[in-house]
Amino acid sequence: MSEHILEIRHLGKAFGAHEVLRDIDFTVDAGDVISIIGASGSGKSTLLRCINLLETPTSGEILYHGTNVAGRGVSAAKYRSRVGMVFQSFNLFNNMTVLENCMVGQRKVLGRGKAEAQAQAVAYLNKVGMAPYIYAKPRQLSGGQKQRVAIARALAMEPEVLLFDEPTSALDPEMVGEVLAVMQALANDGMTMLVVTHEMAFARDVSSRAVFMHEGVICEQGAPAALFGDPQRQETRDFLARFRSA
Amino acid sequence: MDKFAKLGQDMVLLWSKYKLMYWAGIWNTLKLAFIATLIGCVIGLLCGVLNTIPCTKNDPPLKRFFLKLLRVVIRVYVEVFRGTPMVLQSVFIYYGLPYFSNNALRFDNIWTAAILIVSINTGAYMAESVRGGIISIDPGQTEGAKAIGMTHVQTMLYVIMPQALRNIIPQIGNNYIINVKDTSVMFIIGFTDFFAQHRYIVGVNNMYFPSATIEMIAYLTLTLAASFLLRLVEKWMDGPDNYELVQVDALTMSAGTYTHPSRKTPFDEQNKEYRERTRQLLKHGRMRGDR
Repeated sequence: MSEHILEIRHLGKAFGAHEVLRDIDFTVDAGDVISIIGASGSGKSTLLRCINLLETPTSGEILYHGTNVAGRGVSAAKYRSRVGMVFQSFNLFNNMTVLENCMVGQRKVLGRGKAEAQAQAVAYLNKVGMAPYIYAKPRQLSGGQKQRVAIARALAMEPEVLLFDEPTSALDPEMVGEVLAVMQALANDGMTMLVVTHEMAFARDVSSRAVFMHEGVICEQGAPAALFGDPQRQETRDFLARFRSA
Repeated sequence: MDKFAKLGQDMVLLWSKYKLMYWAGIWNTLKLAFIATLIGCVIGLLCGVLNTIPCTKNDPPLKRFFLKLLRVVIRVYVEVFRGTPMVLQSVFIYYGLPYFSNNALRFDNIWTAAILIVSINTGAYMAESVRGGIISIDPGQTEGAKAIGMTHVQTMLYVIMPQALRNIIPQIGNNYIINVKDTSVMFIIGFTDFFAQHRYIVGVNNMYFPSATIEMIAYLTLTLAASFLLRLVEKWMDGPDNYELVQVDALTMSAGTYTHPSRKTPFDEQNKEYRERTRQLLKHGRMRGDR
């Protein structure tokens, strides 16, 4: 079954006695754009952080091309360099310029030369429309600009999968659009993406599959049209109804 | 008023007579304080980094044991050297080593002893400052670095330490200033720093107060100069407040013959001509002379 890029099996995570995730099962194939939706506290972000091993899962397996990366003796760093992540709070390196932010991973982790890393960084920054700002420091940028740089930084590593952890939640409404546009362009390019989001329009229109989480379990998943148009579970209906009225 | 005049006269007299001794003392004090602060910082950085190596349940038990042991050792070092007076530490180490090794180990050079003692002391303080500096950095920075596949060492080296260092510069300055003053206790093992010179000089002529005044003024000058220089360093580390937009197509540059940003190419925005052009465009909306 190694044709899946990622296969999550019976994943569980508990903080002490509090079970945040229970028995999560799903697969990610090349080209998938999976939206994970659900109420706050339903475990969406924890799931994403477990997939990137920023949280250590308490049970279950995460198979990356058939290898369990959640077990002992696996280099988390190497795995993470293949699975990019974009955070809610951007997490750009404050001590570096935009260009250096996008180069440091390529140079230190992938061992690329300076010229190559620079060309690559500028190319991806151009893609997200941030190329003019290569000499700016993160503190000099707006939220939307920072998030676009963060996406370029992740892309510059040429990851197989890109994880987005509520990429637009910390942004002012007028900046959400520019980030979503970049993400939509990536989806159209065939990038494999896993997006935790509260942007229902994005989940419905851009993703190839939607996953609804409720209280630490996957409540319902399927094609976005089906999930949004004809939800099968009462919890899903309640959740979506709240978004429609809002 | 004539008391002040008398004091001034005495100070001039002392200075003209013992100028060389004072200067030698100042020089020794500065040298010792500087070297010891530097070494102390290195010790502190090492301790701080070793102290913050993450230790998860997935690590092999042996690694976890060593990490725990390391933390305990550093903790003991910090507490012992932070919790005892430096003047006592110097006596303890200077006379303790020959005592236990039957004179096989002793300090032939007073500099070695002084630098060792002051560095170890500074290191103990710096270890805590560095730890504070590291945990003051937003955990998101670490996560951002980990998410692109950096190891702990790389994360520390390229992301956390540069920022932590910036934050602990005031602490380093603090330690340097403390060292400038506190190296005066090194007279106890016979180190001729600035204050030791004072003791020699007044031993000859009993002019306690004028000599002390000279020392006060000189110490204050040294520390004021140090804080001024450190402010400059901080400003320099913060980098420029402004940035320039790169207004030519960045992609063409990277794909073309230029490795961007090559100095002295027309694309280099540091280039004087280009900067001038940008300035004029911003100011007049066009190049001067263009119609």
